Amino acid sequence: MSTFAELLLNGISMGSVYALIALGFVVIFRATEVVNFAHASLLLAGGYVTATLHEDIGFWPALLVGIAGAAVVGAAVDLLVMRRYRGSDHSVLAIVTIGVDILLTTELTRRIGTDVLALGDPWGDAVLTLGPISLAHTRIAAFVAAGLLITVFLLAFRYTSWGVAMRAAAESAETAALMGVRLGRVSLGAWAVAGGLAAVAALFLTVFPTPGLERATSLAALKAFPAAILGGLDSTTGALVGGLLVGVTESLATGYQSELTFLGRGLGDLAPYLVMTVILLIRPAGLFGTKELARV
Amino acid sequence: MSTTGTTGKRGAARVAAGALAALLLLSGCSSKAKDDGDGEKGDAAAGEVKTGQGISGRTIALGALTDMTGVYATLGKSVTQAQQLYVKQLNADGGVCGHKVELTVRDHGYDPQKALSGYTELAPKVLGFSQFIGSPFVAAAKPRIDGQDKALVLPQGWSSELLGSPYIRVIGSTYDIETINAVDFLMKEKGIGKGDRIGHVYFEGDYGESALLGSKHIARQAGLTVVEQKIKPTDNDMTAQVAALKKAGVKAVVISAGPRQAASLVGVAAAGGFDVPVIGNNSAFAPQLLATQAGPALMKNYYVASPSLPIGADTPAAEKLVADYRKAYPKATLDNGVVAGWTAASAFGEALKKACKSKDLTREGVGKALLTIDALDTGFGVAQDFTDPEASSSKESVILQPDKSVTGGMKVVQEAAASTAAEAYTPTAP
Amino acid sequence: MSEAPVSEAPVSRAPLSEAPVRPPRLAPRTRTYLWAGGGLLLLVLPFYLDRFWLQAGLFAMAAAIGAIGINLLTGSTGQLSMGHAFFLAIGAYGYCVFAAEGGDGLTGLGLPTWLAAVLAVLLSGLAGGLFSPIAGRLRGAYLGIATLALIFIGQHVLFNARDLTGGFNGRDVPPLSLFGLTFDDRELLVANVPFGSAEKLWYAGLVLLLGCGLFARGVLRGRPGRAMNAIRDHRIAAGVIGVPVARYRAAVFVLSSMYAGLAGVLLALVFQRTVPDYFGITLSLEYLAMIVIGGLGSVSGAVIGAVFVSVLPQLLTRYSDALPLVSAPGTGGVAPGEASRYLYGAAVVAVVLFLPGGLVRVAAGRRFRTDPGEKR
Repeated sequence: MSTFAELLLNGISMGSVYALIALGFVVIFRATEVVNFAHASLLLAGGYVTATLHEDIGFWPALLVGIAGAAVVGAAVDLLVMRRYRGSDHSVLAIVTIGVDILLTTELTRRIGTDVLALGDPWGDAVLTLGPISLAHTRIAAFVAAGLLITVFLLAFRYTSWGVAMRAAAESAETAALMGVRLGRVSLGAWAVAGGLAAVAALFLTVFPTPGLERATSLAALKAFPAAILGGLDSTTGALVGGLLVGVTESLATGYQSELTFLGRGLGDLAPYLVMTVILLIRPAGLFGTKELARV
Repeated sequence: MSTTGTTGKRGAARVAAGALAALLLLSGCSSKAKDDGDGEKGDAAAGEVKTGQGISGRTIALGALTDMTGVYATLGKSVTQAQQLYVKQLNADGGVCGHKVELTVRDHGYDPQKALSGYTELAPKVLGFSQFIGSPFVAAAKPRIDGQDKALVLPQGWSSELLGSPYIRVIGSTYDIETINAVDFLMKEKGIGKGDRIGHVYFEGDYGESALLGSKHIARQAGLTVVEQKIKPTDNDMTAQVAALKKAGVKAVVISAGPRQAASLVGVAAAGGFDVPVIGNNSAFAPQLLATQAGPALMKNYYVASPSLPIGADTPAAEKLVADYRKAYPKATLDNGVVAGWTAASAFGEALKKACKSKDLTREGVGKALLTIDALDTGFGVAQDFTDPEASSSKESVILQPDKSVTGGMKVVQEAAASTAAEAYTPTAP
Repeated sequence: MSEAPVSEAPVSRAPLSEAPVRPPRLAPRTRTYLWAGGGLLLLVLPFYLDRFWLQAGLFAMAAAIGAIGINLLTGSTGQLSMGHAFFLAIGAYGYCVFAAEGGDGLTGLGLPTWLAAVLAVLLSGLAGGLFSPIAGRLRGAYLGIATLALIFIGQHVLFNARDLTGGFNGRDVPPLSLFGLTFDDRELLVANVPFGSAEKLWYAGLVLLLGCGLFARGVLRGRPGRAMNAIRDHRIAAGVIGVPVARYRAAVFVLSSMYAGLAGVLLALVFQRTVPDYFGITLSLEYLAMIVIGGLGSVSGAVIGAVFVSVLPQLLTRYSDALPLVSAPGTGGVAPGEASRYLYGAAVVAVVLFLPGGLVRVAAGRRFRTDPGEKR
């Protein structure tokens, strides 16, 4: 039982990090209806900036610069690339983000090379022990940070003018533009926010249970895809629920792999996608996604 | 994305003509136009030493198919640089039989298509391959290596499935043997005994699954139970694995994965008070890790089984290599990839020298020359015996422990030795 | 490969609302000469090029077949698929299972190899069909991510179903034999040129590519092509005018899977061994890059893109010594592998930015129009 609780808690804390990444997808998708496959490279960019700066300026300033840096990269992608395509087919835009991702990831992995970069976080490898269950401080921090950020965004969507503008843009870009919403600013803001969120996620993906930032870190973003989709690409709540679901599924499938050998070993990566496929079969727009009403 | 198809046919003609010209140009500079004669050049020996494919003029061409931009980038970089250094020194000493050796490197980034292309490109040009990373790719090229090309290939992959070919020669102990030695160390030094459970965390793929053969073999013999945890190279967080192993009550853990997974596993286990010894294969450690948070835990509870002494060994040969390597590549990390690359290049170099002595520098001659080398010692504590193509060139392992203060980050805790289980073991297909 | 410049299909990609602008036609005779010249050139290449180039060409042909398939789906119907590599794997491994004799301890049915190839393609189609409950209902990006699941499932099965796939080391591919001719490495002298597997397969590849190209062109130019474009350009309107949207989506998905399956069979024959690592997410992304670079929705675009993406890295690696900026492996700086990734990442971005319509537009003359910016 304690193993189960430990796996569950671990899954939830990991899931909250996936939720942060998924939230980034959702924010961009809501603002521009584009699926951002370049998210992995934003994550790597944020982590890289934090990792290279923390020794000189300390962890917290480095983290802030990292978040700002990833936000700037995100905004730059929007300004330099995505803005020029506005109006193109969304599938094409999605493929363009793949191109952007290849460029950014190649550059960053070339810089990282074969190093493993520490992020210099204050939590270290401290562990909280509750009876038989132990949970790393970093994981608790991840959960708290993700919870806070997601709450802030839920509120911002509802109550700030930026949030309203974004929801309007998501509803109908043309109408929103006619009503005086500056679509450019909305999408620029979305990209910057997604970058910042990715940088925070990068921090929690590279601290304690994992040794540090390295070239493969960005692959974690692949786990946030099913999270975003199964929650519903246009739903912030969906991102949260999807992230948690992916985290817990992955953790349990890994922890109980000896009991699941009939499916083959090493299920951890696969399980979230299986869950996603099942959910999509039942609800094609995801758990919380807006169903399209146009039916003919 | 729908544009109207306004095809400019005149433009089409221009482009087609251009394409034609380009293709003609390509075929113009192709090497197949030699089909009427000079294809078999060199067979009639220049001077007295018989030469063949891979030697033109006074140059011996060797190939290296490596991975410097993919998953094995860390290994590939060290191995390649060490081999380039070896070749440079060999040439400075006068080369082989008055020939200079030239190493052509192709980086395949662990992409099968690029690996095969690299092989196809280099195979007709080189005498042999001093490096070929990725045992699935070696397996893919195997029919051609054994069938037509018959060139010596020294893979940088220690899967037992590569054994048995007279041309593909694995250097050092294979992963299964290394794992047997590792478990043997646990039993002798860490009090693991009959009836105990040991965990084995391993990568999906040639490396991990070869190692698993070894741990299962010795477990069967010694009455241990192996608790398997298969992971993927993209898994960087071992929390769930540690929880599962803890639940299973294992007394020790073997890890056949990458350095990051080892660091995570050791770190999580230590932090959670799960105080068991962990031993990894040669590839499950990188000195870069000691600078991260996992450093202290690694130095306390982690061991590595290695096919040779570490780069920081205090033999004269090792010290010379460290000095030369630092001079040639001031920024590079000194790790065991350097030793592996150096040893492989030395083996090839020695084979070339022997072949030179017997005046036969053909592919066949070099292959035969390698078969006569029974105790190659490059100064890293293990003698390599190449006389039996069915076996790896050594069954010995050195047990190392991470230590920040040593060059290369590892110190020796048990000198090179082959366990009795490893001596008696013959690899079987999974 | 050289059919690219001339096989442009002007009618096929016209948006619903506009009548296609007829291009001034090339004199029919010149056209014929071009085709004949290009065809002849392709036919004589095996006599001159060495195995490296032939193999590169074969990779490009296989990629072209796969790219035509995904272009039908993504380019013409607007459905994003990131699972193409999965269907390639089914084709490649399916062929091995059907054709192998089972001598290496792995499952093999020992069927005649040509039949095995056909069955492998059908099997890929069947797999695509099994996915149709999802492929028919989801659109665009949703489908893109849903198909990512296929990659993960595929990799898991390839590594774990040892009896079928040989696990991590893959399995040997039995050489194709057709009408008594075996496409293996036993040398066959043709006009004093030794023909190995690459030379022989070259012709098989050409025939397959030509067939696939013509069939896809037929589909695109006919009624189904118009329906597919209608779904892409305006799904709801397409439904209103009577196009069965879900059924078309599923059908195109199946067709595209079959193309992928055939590409997989050809690749397996070229590789002579299937390796699971190959059929990962990178491969799927490469196919998407191909069709964007070459030109969405057109057969020749897919072919051009496939040649670009699959030959470029090999060129850069081979001539890395002679290129400025690119440094030899091991010396630091930009390695050839990285250089080709930069180039093809940049190509994807730049082509959409500056050459809407892809390279095929350039090949077909510079008279492209900018995109009208239509909605789904």
